[in-house]
Amino acid sequence: MPADSIEAALDALGDPTRLAIVMKLRERPLAVSAIAQDLPVSRPAVSSHLRVLTAAGLVTHRSLGTRNVYSLRPEGIAELRKWLDQLWGDALTAFAAHVERLEEQK
Amino acid sequence: MSVEPRQSKPLASITKLVEVACSPERAFDLFTASFGDWWPLTTHSVYGDEAASVVMGAGIGAAIIETSRSGEQAQWGTVTGWQPGQLLEFSWHPGLPLEEATDVRVTFESSSRGTLVTLEHSGWERRRDADSQRAQYEAGWIPVLDRFVRQVN
Repeated sequence: MPADSIEAALDALGDPTRLAIVMKLRERPLAVSAIAQDLPVSRPAVSSHLRVLTAAGLVTHRSLGTRNVYSLRPEGIAELRKWLDQLWGDALTAFAAHVERLEEQK
Repeated sequence: MSVEPRQSKPLASITKLVEVACSPERAFDLFTASFGDWWPLTTHSVYGDEAASVVMGAGIGAAIIETSRSGEQAQWGTVTGWQPGQLLEFSWHPGLPLEEATDVRVTFESSSRGTLVTLEHSGWERRRDADSQRAQYEAGWIPVLDRFVRQVN
């Protein structure tokens, strides 16, 4: 996953409504009407949030008759996990570099 | 110097290893007391470009706190395990409330080159229902990732 895609995914999740949608989709795939239920935003707003999540690679959808059913996209989630893994890699690399600098000065 | 991912059970905690050329005692001191000197704050912080510093306090109950240039503060976590030269544990919730914290455990072991530092980030299951399935487990990473949104922004 290129860096700008990661940023798109993280930006997408930074919005509370979109995060709430993702949490709902953890349970099972849902139609737009079911996703909009209990959310304090209009259905068109939910559709627009779903477009952002889809563009970020986090959710996917398929047509079931006249309905669009949305689900989480496992590849997108896996890529984000990889990114988190990288965060700790970066942190420990920075730590080791710091130790090395100090030990060389001795 | 390289950081090797350790092979772990699928979807389990994240584990990272690094070896440093000093004693476990010194590695522990540098990791904790000098946290702000080595943490990559420019890329990983709550305040982003406005981040000024981050410090980790000493001992159980001490906080990890980032301060912005304007003096705002964000608590990233709290030290929950403190055995100098051996073990460091802290909760981890940058930009999020305490109840959404995950756990980080860092061990320091004597090795041929100096010290083997092992970092394990776990605790996602706290947010799962007992009967949840594998797909949900994967999605369980989301709350954790959400924290980093604030760091990237």
